[in-house]
Amino acid sequence: MLQTSGLWLAIATFLSIWWGHVGVRWLEAKCADIRPPMVVLIIAGLLLNLVALFSANVTIGGVCSVVGISLWWDAFELVRQDRRVRHGHAPANPHNPRHARYLAEGRATIHDPLDREPGEALILPQQPVREREPETV
Amino acid sequence: MYWEGLAIGLFSLGIIGFGFFWVIRMEYYLGYLWWPYPLLFGIGIIVLSLFVADAGWSALLGVTGASFIWGATELKEQAVRAELGWFPRNPNPKPQPPFVEIIRRIKAPHL
Repeated sequence: MLQTSGLWLAIATFLSIWWGHVGVRWLEAKCADIRPPMVVLIIAGLLLNLVALFSANVTIGGVCSVVGISLWWDAFELVRQDRRVRHGHAPANPHNPRHARYLAEGRATIHDPLDREPGEALILPQQPVREREPETV
Repeated sequence: MYWEGLAIGLFSLGIIGFGFFWVIRMEYYLGYLWWPYPLLFGIGIIVLSLFVADAGWSALLGVTGASFIWGATELKEQAVRAELGWFPRNPNPKPQPPFVEIIRRIKAPHL
């Protein structure tokens, strides 16, 4: 009989990483203040790790802990995403007052610098974002 | 209390941290076109985990496999980051992966 524990953990790990990329970017772009979602993520992570501690089943405990720890990481990642937006390394949402402030400071951009294939439309790193030509999406 | 679940969670944190390391190194020395190989390696590890009797070891293999699949999706973005000057760029020519012409026709995955 096949052991499916690894498969479940692989799915949990990949989805956690996916959410850590896509979901965190979305959450950071939508929230004017990143502190409330950070608190929610930290508490959710804590609860999931507590469930893991009291779960006799390795698969359930492992999935809860993997997701819980990744939620803690995501709380930290919200701060890093905010920093990326501020420095023009990730796209800013002009409808978000925090991002609008970064755009007004001149370092942020509404375009995603990573949304391109390697080798095309290279932007020189020393060129400030505000002096760049509008990037094509 | 049962510590096995928490140990698996901490292991996932470590293996993802290792993922950041090997993705940067692999892109630097080999290039992003090698992305199908860690992807297939990750899928292979997950398939292997199905045949391990112990649930704990199977779980660790599953987490490891998923982290390699994620790493494969990061290689293209890492190449762009290096081009933008956010990471060191290797000026030396990079070795072409086996079946490079087929790989070029497939859009490299990313999250």
